[in-house]
Amino acid sequence: MVNLEDLKKEAKAVLKDEKVKYVIGYEKSSNGLMPAPAFIKKPEDVEKLIWDPTCIHNLTRFLTDEKQKKAREKQPDERPVGIIVKGCDSRALVVLLQEKFINREDVYIIGVSCESAGVVDEKKLSKKLKDKKIENIEFDEKDNIIVTTKDGKTKIPASEILAERCLECRANFPVIYDVLLGEKTKRQPENPFQSVEKIESLSEQERWDFWKEQLSKCIRCYACRSVCPMCYCDECVVDTINFAVTADTTAEEKAQKIKWLEKSPVLSENFVYHFIRAIHLAGRCIDCGECERVCPLDIPIRFLNKKLEKDAKELFDYDSGFDPDQPSLISSFRDEDPEDFIR
Amino acid sequence: MEKVLAKKSFPQWVKTLSSYKIFAPIEKEDLWSYELIEKPEQINLDYLNTVLSPKKIIFPQREVYLEFFASNEEGIEVKELLPDEKPSVIFGVRPCDAKALTLTDKVFGGDFEDLYYWNRRKQTALVGLSCSTPPSPNCFCLTVDGSPFSKDGLDVLMTDLGDKYFVETLTKKGEQLVNSAKTLFKAPTEKDKKNLAKIQQDAKKKITRQVENIKKVPPQLKEMFDSPLWDEESMSCIQCGICTYLCPTCHCFDINDEIDSSSPLKGKRIRTWDNCQFPDFTMHSSGHNPRPDKASRLRQRIMHKFQYFVELYKNYQCTGCGRCISQCPVGIDIIEVLDKVSDYGA
Repeated sequence: MVNLEDLKKEAKAVLKDEKVKYVIGYEKSSNGLMPAPAFIKKPEDVEKLIWDPTCIHNLTRFLTDEKQKKAREKQPDERPVGIIVKGCDSRALVVLLQEKFINREDVYIIGVSCESAGVVDEKKLSKKLKDKKIENIEFDEKDNIIVTTKDGKTKIPASEILAERCLECRANFPVIYDVLLGEKTKRQPENPFQSVEKIESLSEQERWDFWKEQLSKCIRCYACRSVCPMCYCDECVVDTINFAVTADTTAEEKAQKIKWLEKSPVLSENFVYHFIRAIHLAGRCIDCGECERVCPLDIPIRFLNKKLEKDAKELFDYDSGFDPDQPSLISSFRDEDPEDFIR
Repeated sequence: MEKVLAKKSFPQWVKTLSSYKIFAPIEKEDLWSYELIEKPEQINLDYLNTVLSPKKIIFPQREVYLEFFASNEEGIEVKELLPDEKPSVIFGVRPCDAKALTLTDKVFGGDFEDLYYWNRRKQTALVGLSCSTPPSPNCFCLTVDGSPFSKDGLDVLMTDLGDKYFVETLTKKGEQLVNSAKTLFKAPTEKDKKNLAKIQQDAKKKITRQVENIKKVPPQLKEMFDSPLWDEESMSCIQCGICTYLCPTCHCFDINDEIDSSSPLKGKRIRTWDNCQFPDFTMHSSGHNPRPDKASRLRQRIMHKFQYFVELYKNYQCTGCGRCISQCPVGIDIIEVLDKVSDYGA
């Protein structure tokens, strides 16, 4: 496991040299087992940073806010933002670069390798701990997670509490970085699509019943959209109003905004919302699993993305988020691609 | 009226309430929610708290106001669709969630009564379950003038005494419920009463979270509209709607027409929950957005709950249920924000 002191040292160095505006990392939170995103502006504040198996958030999502903020400022600070990324998070950066949403010089990437481990799932962990507070949590050399609470140390096999996506991870160390902490330990999952294959094996009726039940729970808080680093559009079809509207937009132009779905959280509209969200991530989703993690109603949204990821791989031999110079899935085709009508 | 009810008699009591619609907490895949009950045996009161509060029954996320359709004689005809509910009982309401309804009562009451809200509210009896153990590590009801056994808004309050419930009847509606199964309820013994007092005393001590100086918060906020604090505290906000949609006191709504067919015209006017954390909340059609960034949206949430509402109704618009804290995906903690507000500039 990467040493926290090394991480602090890297963050401190770039802040001290004023090479970055701030560093986005993780700090302890007061609300539960998981940490909170930290925005470190002063070198002395790096002491707040933490690094342990609870550091689950994909922090690249905050680059959207940074870009919007910069657009509003008259004289924006042009320095990059320092950002701590795991392997999966770095793949999100690659997609953002590929889509030219960010430029390489906008970010100073502090890559952290998960090595042979990963991050833990809060719900799985809290079941094991029965609401006890964590004092320390770390990996040992033998694929166990050692959790220290007020009652002492507990050893839990990592496979029992790792996040689902870590069990299917294809990038356990960052694919792009300015500085890398930890080893590039190669760890291939047995089958990166094992979870979605369980759903695929169900009959059509069973799948319909499954999704009907799951999506009827949705309250459309849009946390899955809001947390996603790829959901950066200024104008989202689910919003009732067009954010591209200015004082000069005519009434006709405003009226032309198509209402793809209603605000009512009923099954048909929930289906439309979730399908639009998933389809827009085809060939872009890098499986950080944040959408599923944040859902307050525990809807297994990741299956939808995972299915598209599998289709992209099987139909077009496409892997998202490994190569910033590769054209995007939906803007490219190869002669051997299926779907004859394209040619 | 104080009574005790043996736990094993509880399903029998519910059975006698067959003329009511019964709602109670139900667990499915580790998720608790208030659902319509078909059999009393489904009710399990060994729960902590639900993801959504019982607000969703009285003030549902989607309400149909009216239907409209083209008609040959009248042009467009409009049919009002007021809820015509049969009497309901919600079992297992936590005191904070019941108190929250007394706050939404203020909003939907007053000079103009919202009939959609009140038709349900008046028909619904709330049977509370006091919190012998805090349902969440982020409970802070004591800070906002609540308590784990507060009776505000409830018709009956039950407290778990082990093998029986201590049942306090608080209103006429509550009396009717208890009277429907008179023989099941016994007078409490002195020991039961002592037991209750002890449980109540201990329950308070188990609540570990609080805002240090809540009294200072409303006056401080009045001076903090332009404070840089909102920028700092909202840095990690992802602008989802979890905190407000799960809040038992949040009541903002939006009205939209949903068109089933444009020719001939047929559609419905619908009210849905709205959310001040969404970028399109109250955005004007000119393109002007009165709350253009996440700092101003966090400010709105805090100001509404701890300043505007306090000024209008002499109550915090928060009952300390802790849902917004526990469920925030990025650890924004309203207790911490309020502590910083009360200390601000000191």
